Amino acid sequence: MASTMDGPQDAEAKVSGVLQRLTSSNDDQRKTVTFGDSSAVRSIPFWSVVSLVLLIAFWFLATFAFGFPEDFKDPELTDKQRLTICSQDDACDGSYSQLLGPLTFPSVRDTWNAFFELNDEGFKGFTLLDHTRASLWRVVRGMFFGSLFGIPVGFAMGLSSRARGFFDSPVELFRPIPPLALLPLFILMFGIGDGTSVRLLVFASIWIMIIAARSGVQAANLSKVRAAYSLGASKRQVLFRVLLPNALPELFTGFRVALGVSWGTLVAAELLGLNKGLGAMIFAARPNFRLDVVVVGIIVIATLGVAMDLILRFLESKLIPWRGKG
Amino acid sequence: MKDLSVSNVDMVYEVPGGTNVQALNNVSFDLAAGRLLSLLGPSGCGKTTLLNILAGFLAPTGGSVTLAGDIITGPGQERGMVFQQGALFEWLTVEENISFGPRMNRADKLATKARVQELLEIVGLAGFGDKQIYELSGGMQQRVALARCLANDPDVILMDEPLGALDALTREKMQSLVLELWKETGKTIILVTHSVEEALYLGDRLFVMAPRPGRIESDYSLPFAEQGLTMDARELKRSPEFREKSQEILSIIWEMEEEIMGRTEGEG
Repeated sequence: MASTMDGPQDAEAKVSGVLQRLTSSNDDQRKTVTFGDSSAVRSIPFWSVVSLVLLIAFWFLATFAFGFPEDFKDPELTDKQRLTICSQDDACDGSYSQLLGPLTFPSVRDTWNAFFELNDEGFKGFTLLDHTRASLWRVVRGMFFGSLFGIPVGFAMGLSSRARGFFDSPVELFRPIPPLALLPLFILMFGIGDGTSVRLLVFASIWIMIIAARSGVQAANLSKVRAAYSLGASKRQVLFRVLLPNALPELFTGFRVALGVSWGTLVAAELLGLNKGLGAMIFAARPNFRLDVVVVGIIVIATLGVAMDLILRFLESKLIPWRGKG
Repeated sequence: MKDLSVSNVDMVYEVPGGTNVQALNNVSFDLAAGRLLSLLGPSGCGKTTLLNILAGFLAPTGGSVTLAGDIITGPGQERGMVFQQGALFEWLTVEENISFGPRMNRADKLATKARVQELLEIVGLAGFGDKQIYELSGGMQQRVALARCLANDPDVILMDEPLGALDALTREKMQSLVLELWKETGKTIILVTHSVEEALYLGDRLFVMAPRPGRIESDYSLPFAEQGLTMDARELKRSPEFREKSQEILSIIWEMEEEIMGRTEGEG
């Protein structure tokens, strides 16, 4: 109710306050020492937007054909097609200058149009959404099984010396192996297909989840556990009512790391022989020199990676509000 | 009655490849139900070890501890524990923390709810039931810890430096709260502390413990806790009797410290 009672002056003050937060670092005006004070440093959104705009502007300028003859600007054609026609025509050839040619990097315009083409018509029989969905579904399954097997093993390692000893060798040996190094073996063992890439993702995430669960158990303050026993909790209750919720922050961190690794592994794994998936789409576009499709794929991969991390961070702040406090 | 009896308790920590540490040597005492005992001594005197044995977290290497005749072999609800800090469950609200014990025992829900409200009132946190733990100050968190311990209605309350991390002012208030709880509930309370003043004020019995090997050096029965129930805390702490006792105990501890220092220097 209070906000509706505010006068126009309050609203104005609020707007200018928000604007200031978005554009300047003036929140600690009374601090005389800010250089080296990490609490006085935060990311100013304005500058993040500036760098993003600069990146796109650089891309635009680098792939823009300066001095390209108007006669050859057929609106029906892509930049790549125009330049190809131009290079075969003596009247046009050599009349323009360009930093990155159409065989090196696609123009902003071509990429923009390719995005809609991929959305509507698709590429090699599948739309962009199909490819994205296939990739995401693989990651979801990989993370699910990685967590399903990894978390109990990690808990066992945190709870029993015998389990710690038993699992230490495989975990320490397999953990440093880059999942992609196993791709040739996996293909020979399981063939080329959906299941193989999911198995690879399980391999990518399981060790991270084991370590996260183990350190989650180890993070439990001894007095917390002792308090629970003193209050009459059984071992089972200590496990599910104390150790599990107490390990949530570590599990969440592990999940975020595993998701990042899985995402990176997946796209590379898909490059080989799958017909659906963002990596497969990129790989299929290369022989046809459809660099615009490649770049659309890259942008979607990057955007989804950022989005997944933001969603997890949001969930974390909702599910684990006590993290880093008290 | 639920008297506590400690007989010939030894606790030896084996140090691989070194000399064993005698954390407790032949400690014996009887504590009648309803007494307020404070354990005081320099670090290494085994006071926390003793408390952990009473709680059942550690099994002594020799001797035994009985409560109302039953030998203590592990943690139990009849012996509640209040820790220095960090023992609350951050993922639960204040109310859920306090009702943790009854819920683990599948106690009647309505009765538990009523009991929690009552406890919130007793420890001065009425209206804070829905708050998250991290929203509370250190002193308030210790009030929750006290309430959580009381919710199971233990016979003995063990406190391991429960006020050690609090600022002086909060600490004073909490000391009064502990005295009030002692009076109102009539429970046996055993409190480990580093502060001579706190040990005198919150002990109607006081053990000064000595290190190497850990043992009870002297056993005092004190009037201050009783007096504290009716008298202003600061006035009491200013009284000549209180200050005299305080000096006496301080000098005992000083002597111990000097002796330890001398011994370590001799070894070095």
